[in-house]
Amino acid sequence: MIVANQTLGDQLSVVSSQLFPPQRTRPLQARIIHYALLVTAALFLSLTSAASADNRTYQRSVEKYAMPDVTLINQNGNRVRFKNFLPTDKPVVVDFIFGTCTTICPVLSAGYASLQQRLGADTEKVHLISITIDPENDTPAVLKDYLKRYRSKPGWDFLTGSRKDIDRVMKAFNANIPDKMSHYALTFIRMPKEDNWVRINGMMSTSEFLAESQKAGIK
Amino acid sequence: MKRTAIRDQLSAISGQRSARNFWRLTVLLFTHYSLLITAVILLPFTAHSADDRNALLAGMDQAEILRLGERIYREGILPDGKPLPGYVSGDVPVDGTAFTCVSCHLRSGLGSFEGNVVTPPTNGRILYQPREPFIKGSEFIPYIHNYAVYLPVRPAYTYETLAALISTGFDPTGRSVVSVMPRYEMSARDMAILIAYLDTLSDKPSPGVDKSEIKFATVIVEGTDPSAVRSMLTPIEFGIDRKNSLAVAASKNPRVALMSYNMSGNLTDIKFSLSRWVLKGPSTTWKQQLENYYKTEPVFALLGGITNGDWEPVHRFCEEKGIPDLFPIVDYPVISQKDWYTLYPSRGVRQEGEAAARYLHSMYDLFKGRSIVQIIRADRRAEALARGFRETWAETGHPPAEDIILAKGEKLTAEKLQQIVAKEKPAALLVWDDASLLPAVSSLVGKPDKPGLVIASGTYLGKSLWAVPEEVREFLYMTYPYRLPQDDARYDKAAKRVLAGKPINLFDPVIIRQSYLTNEILGKALLEMRGEYYRDFLLDTIGMMADQYFPLYERVSFGPGQRYASKGCFMVQLGKGKSPKLVRRSEWVTQ
Ligand code: HEC
Repeated sequence: MIVANQTLGDQLSVVSSQLFPPQRTRPLQARIIHYALLVTAALFLSLTSAASADNRTYQRSVEKYAMPDVTLINQNGNRVRFKNFLPTDKPVVVDFIFGTCTTICPVLSAGYASLQQRLGADTEKVHLISITIDPENDTPAVLKDYLKRYRSKPGWDFLTGSRKDIDRVMKAFNANIPDKMSHYALTFIRMPKEDNWVRINGMMSTSEFLAESQKAGIK
Repeated sequence: MKRTAIRDQLSAISGQRSARNFWRLTVLLFTHYSLLITAVILLPFTAHSADDRNALLAGMDQAEILRLGERIYREGILPDGKPLPGYVSGDVPVDGTAFTCVSCHLRSGLGSFEGNVVTPPTNGRILYQPREPFIKGSEFIPYIHNYAVYLPVRPAYTYETLAALISTGFDPTGRSVVSVMPRYEMSARDMAILIAYLDTLSDKPSPGVDKSEIKFATVIVEGTDPSAVRSMLTPIEFGIDRKNSLAVAASKNPRVALMSYNMSGNLTDIKFSLSRWVLKGPSTTWKQQLENYYKTEPVFALLGGITNGDWEPVHRFCEEKGIPDLFPIVDYPVISQKDWYTLYPSRGVRQEGEAAARYLHSMYDLFKGRSIVQIIRADRRAEALARGFRETWAETGHPPAEDIILAKGEKLTAEKLQQIVAKEKPAALLVWDDASLLPAVSSLVGKPDKPGLVIASGTYLGKSLWAVPEEVREFLYMTYPYRLPQDDARYDKAAKRVLAGKPINLFDPVIIRQSYLTNEILGKALLEMRGEYYRDFLLDTIGMMADQYFPLYERVSFGPGQRYASKGCFMVQLGKGKSPKLVRRSEWVTQ
C-alpha cells in the first residue's frame, strides 16, 4: 500500500463555491476544465427540456432514521457503541466505503479529505464517519492504513464490525448495498440536536459538499 | 448509466440554482466560450505534441521510462518523487498517493465495474482503436461484462488527444467524461512517460496462451501424502477434461457450444492443458527447479498446488515471474498486503488464532483485567496459531497474553496445566495442541481457578473434536474455519460432482472442497474476461467478483488486491449427548 506524507495544501484550490472564497487562483488548465464543464452543462441545459437548473450528480432528501444499538470497532481497534458514538453536540457525516474499493470510495473519501482541509485547524468540530461495507476484509489495520493514505485528521473515524451489525446499520440508514461490488455512493449529514438526516445519493464536488454541509448547518 | 453521465456533466453548475446565479452563469458561459475553444485547439499542441514526445524522452532508456510510468500508474508518484495532483468530481483535489489510475483502471489497465460506475480500459491497444457499442471479434461477451455498451462511442485516440483527455477530461468527440475520472496536472515529459507505459499495458499476449491453447501447471511438493495430492488434483482435472471434451463436442456441433458451461465465445476453440511440476529435495533448490520447468513450458497460470510444509519459494517465484497461482493447498501461506500473484483459499492455520483474538476482544470487558494465557506446543502448527492470535491481539491494543511454550516434543499434562492455572489465574486460556490437551483440560473441572473459557483449535484436534469429554464441553471453545457440517451437507452434491464418479471416501474431505474453489473461480473468471487472457486481468477479474457460496467455507469473498478468499472462522462448542453437533458461538467473521 502507498503511504503518503506530503500535504495536500499545495493542490488545494477551490472553484465555483460562492460560500467559500477561493484561496488561490487555479492553474490555467484547471480553469479550462472548469469552464469546459460549464459549457457542456449549459449545452445540455438548452438541449434537454427535462433538465432544469436543479440537476445534480446527486439526489438529496431529508429522512428520519432510528439507529440500532450495535458495537462497532474503529481504526484503532477500539470498540464503540454506535448509538453513543454519533455525536449530538456537533455535526456528523456518515458514508459507506471499504478498504479495497475501486472507483466510488476514492471519490467519497477525497471529499472527506477535502472537507477536513476546509475546516481549518479544528477538524474535530465535525465528526466524519466512514463505515465499511466489507467487514470481512477490513480489519482495524486495513482501516488505519486507508485513513493514512487520505491523510485523515482527527475527527474522521472508520468503523468495521461483524457483518450482522454492519448490516443492521446499513438497514437503519435504508442503505441497501447487497454486495460490495454493487456499491453506490451515499452520504448522510446530521446537525447537532437534530433528529433528521440529510441523505445524499451520489457524488458531490467539494463545493457541493460544502454547500450541503452548510445548508445542514455545518459552518 | 447514461443518466448518471449526464448528471455528472451537470455537476459544475450546482450551487448556482437561483435565478440570479443563472444569469451569472450565462454571462460566465459567454465570456469563456471562446476561451474554451481556444484551449481545446491549443492544448494538444502546446503541451503534448507527438513530435516533442521523442525529444522529451531523449536519453532515457525504455526500461527506465516504463519503471517511472508504472510508478505514476500504480503509486501516483511522479518521476521527481512528488505525488501526482488531480481533481475529481470537478473540484475535489486528490493527490496520487491516496489513489491513482490503478485504483479504477486496475493493474491490467483493462478497467473495472463497481456499482453504476464503469471504468473503461486505458491501455494503448484499446485506446488507439475506435470504440463501438460492441467489442469487435468478441460479440459473444455478455452485456454485463462489456464496458463499451455503457459508454458513448468515440474515435481512436491519438497521442495528442489521449494527453488532452488525461489533463482536461475531454475525449476526442469533445465530450467531457464523467467526473469520477480525475483531471490530472502533469508536465509534458511526465505525460509522455505515463503514456509510454499505457502503451505497454496488456499489450503482448501473456505467456502460455495462444489461439488454440491455454497452458496451466500445478506444483506438487514431493513427500506430500498421495491421497492429499489426489484430492487436490481431481477437481481441477475434472474441470479441464470436461472443458476439453466439451470443446471437441462443440466443434462438431455448434449447439453444444452454446449450451455448454465454461465455454462462451472464443473459449470454445481453446484447449486447456495441465502439467504437474513436482518439486524434489530441500526447498532451497525449488527456485531452480521451477525455473527449469518454466523454461521448457511457460504456463499462463498455476492451478492449485500442494505441500505439507513450505510454500514460500513457490510464492516468490510467482511474484518474480508474474504468474498467477489460484488457491494452492497450504497450511502456511505467505501473509502479505501487497504481493499480487498467489490467491490462497484462506490465511491458513493462523486464521484460527486470529479469530480467537477477535472473539476474546469482543468480551474483554468481562475479564476485568485478568490475564490471558497461551500454551503453545513446540511445532509449526501451534506456533502459527499462536502468532495469529498474538498479532491480532496486539492490533486491538490489549496488553499481550502470557505465552508458555512447551519444550520440544513435550505434551501438555494435567499436572503442568494445573500448575499454570494456579499461578496465572487466567480469565481465558488458549491451548494450541492436539488431542493430548483433552485429558489435561478435563482435570481442571472443579478446580477453583478454572478459567471461564478454554480455547483450542478445531483443526488441530482433528477427529478428536468429536470426542471432547462431556464435562469439558461447557467451557471448551474451538476455532472452526469451515461451514458447520450440518449446514455444509447441502453442498455435498456439488462437491461430489467433481469426483467423476469416484467414491468420496477416497479423498480428503477438506482438500477436494478447497480445490473445488479453484475450478469454479477459474471457470467463472475466464467467462468474464471477454477474450482478454492476460495474467493481471485474470486477477483483476477475480478481484471484481461478488461473494461466492461453495462447499466448505461459509463464504468466500474477493476484492481488488484481496488474496485470502475465506476470511472467517466460527467459534464453536460441542453440543451435549452421544452424537453431538457443533454449536456455533460466534459469527463467521468478527472484527
Ligand atoms: C476514480 C477512478 C479513476 C481514476 C483514479 C482514474 N480514472 Fe481514468 N477513467 C475513469 C472513468 C470512470 C472513466 C470513464 C469516463 C467516461 O468515459 O465518461 C475514465 C476514462 C479514462 C480514459 C478514457 C478512456 C476512453 O476510452 O475514452 C483514459 C485514457 C483514462 N481514464 C486514463 C486514466 C489515467 C492515465 C489515470 C491515472 C493518471 C486515470 N485514468 C485515473 C476512472 C478513473
